Amino acid sequence: MATDPVSPGAEAALESIRDGIAKGRFPAHVFNDRQIFDIERQRVFSKAWCFLAHESEIPDRGDYVTRYIADNNLIVARAESGDIHASLNMCRHRGNMMCKSEMGNASHFRCSYHGWVYKNSGELVGVPYMKEGYEGRIDKRDWGLVKVRTQTYAGLVFGTIDPDAPPLEEYLGDFRFYLDLYLKQGSSGSEVHGPPDHWVTDTDWKIAAENFAGDGYHTPVAHQFGFNLGYFASSGSTHSQGWAASIPGKGHGIGLGHTPGFPPFAGFPEELADEMRRSLSPEQVEVFSQTRTAVGTVFPNLSFLMQPFSIVPGEAGVRFVTMRLYHPIGPGRTEMYSWCLVPKDASEQYKREAYRAYTLAFAQAGTFEQDDLENWARVTRSAGSTMARDIEFPYVMGMDSVRDPDFPGPGHVVTPYVNDSNFRNLWSRWSDYMTGQV
Amino acid sequence: MIGVADPKPDRDTVFDVTDFLHREALALDERRFRDWLDHLTDDVAYVVPLRVTREGQAGWEVSPTSRIFDDDKQTLTLRIERLETDFAWAEQPPSRTRHYVTNVVADPGEREDELLVSSNCLIYRSRGDSIEPNLYSIARKDTVRRVDGRLLLARRYAVLDQSVINGHNLSILF
Repeated sequence: MATDPVSPGAEAALESIRDGIAKGRFPAHVFNDRQIFDIERQRVFSKAWCFLAHESEIPDRGDYVTRYIADNNLIVARAESGDIHASLNMCRHRGNMMCKSEMGNASHFRCSYHGWVYKNSGELVGVPYMKEGYEGRIDKRDWGLVKVRTQTYAGLVFGTIDPDAPPLEEYLGDFRFYLDLYLKQGSSGSEVHGPPDHWVTDTDWKIAAENFAGDGYHTPVAHQFGFNLGYFASSGSTHSQGWAASIPGKGHGIGLGHTPGFPPFAGFPEELADEMRRSLSPEQVEVFSQTRTAVGTVFPNLSFLMQPFSIVPGEAGVRFVTMRLYHPIGPGRTEMYSWCLVPKDASEQYKREAYRAYTLAFAQAGTFEQDDLENWARVTRSAGSTMARDIEFPYVMGMDSVRDPDFPGPGHVVTPYVNDSNFRNLWSRWSDYMTGQV
Repeated sequence: MIGVADPKPDRDTVFDVTDFLHREALALDERRFRDWLDHLTDDVAYVVPLRVTREGQAGWEVSPTSRIFDDDKQTLTLRIERLETDFAWAEQPPSRTRHYVTNVVADPGEREDELLVSSNCLIYRSRGDSIEPNLYSIARKDTVRRVDGRLLLARRYAVLDQSVINGHNLSILF
């Protein structure tokens, strides 16, 4: 592992940020700061379980995609055995990139520099001039592609470069209860509709992660046009209703928006809603059936949003799900990936309608997406200014709210949905990593 | 002019089509969005597919299923209505765009009253006080239809050359 040269002054500053969160304060500059970015790479992204791919992106043997953990490019491939392997996309001989495509199918990768050949699972199988050149000094078993540990949950493939990271199950903890809304739409689960939207934005990954951890507060303003054109069944005055659920000590959080009189499972095809009533737990059915909007973040940088949406404002519409990954590429700069998840068991027509709702609302040209990114780019710009070094933001909404005793889902659950409790939990976990406690 | 035996449209037709594309682009660049909608047929299909970086031998590099835009007249009208509200933050203040349309090639279409028109389009987009513009290079395959003596856009299939898109949002039209 790389060394971690953080100065004592910076360590003290990080400790003070950590103390501030408990008091409902968080500094502006962390959203655009070179030093914070460098420390995040070492202490957050090199330690956490990072999302790599959805299994349905690589359904067949030999299928692969290339993705990142921190600045490490990885090949995520389904081997001939059917197992999924992640390997560093770097030849062990002289370091050339093995795979230059975002996705494809290959049983083997051959380096275009000196010709070393690896199975898609990473084992070295071919070395030119093995006998004449190396004279037996190379044991192929020692020179496979560098492996990255992977584990999956309900179709999500995560990887970690920390050999000591706890199992994924423990890392996700009780957040799995809520993830199932996105990942288990029907008994066969969910699948990606196609390759992800992929773009670069001058936005810090943390702004997006926080917004998707349940920012119901921004909706009536940032997306005011939606109310204006009659998109939402709820109005600005009822929009705050619902719950904010966070998993203490894990960083994950979700906002669950609810509209009074909302029909159970509205927007799902009836057969699929019935299937979900059968396949999910009674507690999940109770929570999910009343959820209009579900917007959540898995710490650090994987988010989901489910929303019933109609192409024609005011009509019942369908449920679309966007799954997004915020890959940090610089202070205040992020590569965005956005997939649309659809229920595997739904009709082709429903999948098509759900995907179209996604493109119109939340793909990179989506009418809602556009406004978020505009705001976030400006937040990022402000956060990088010199005066912002000394500015803190208030995170005091719902400081004293107690857990809703009647809510059947796990975690710290408070109402209304307009609440900072998920964000305090998110930044508190981030601080645990940043101060080296994890 | 359209539908004659010669498979290549005549000079007047090519001129008319090129002029049509220029006027359509001008409506966008001058932000006359209602005028722009008038350049479209009622059954218009407006598609911007997703490009993926793949090996040369791969079956496709423009996704057959993933779309950045998958619009019809109703949703395009909605995008324009949105821009007409006071709350389309992505375009406040508005992008300054310039569509440079070149390499126009017109061929007979599937219907007698239609032409298949290929063009290259380079869009320069300037935002706020930024001195760094977004540039989008696009290959367009349009279907242009003659309706009551006027040319109208019946289909646009616009493929961006980049697989990773620069620019934090795509709040402009192609």
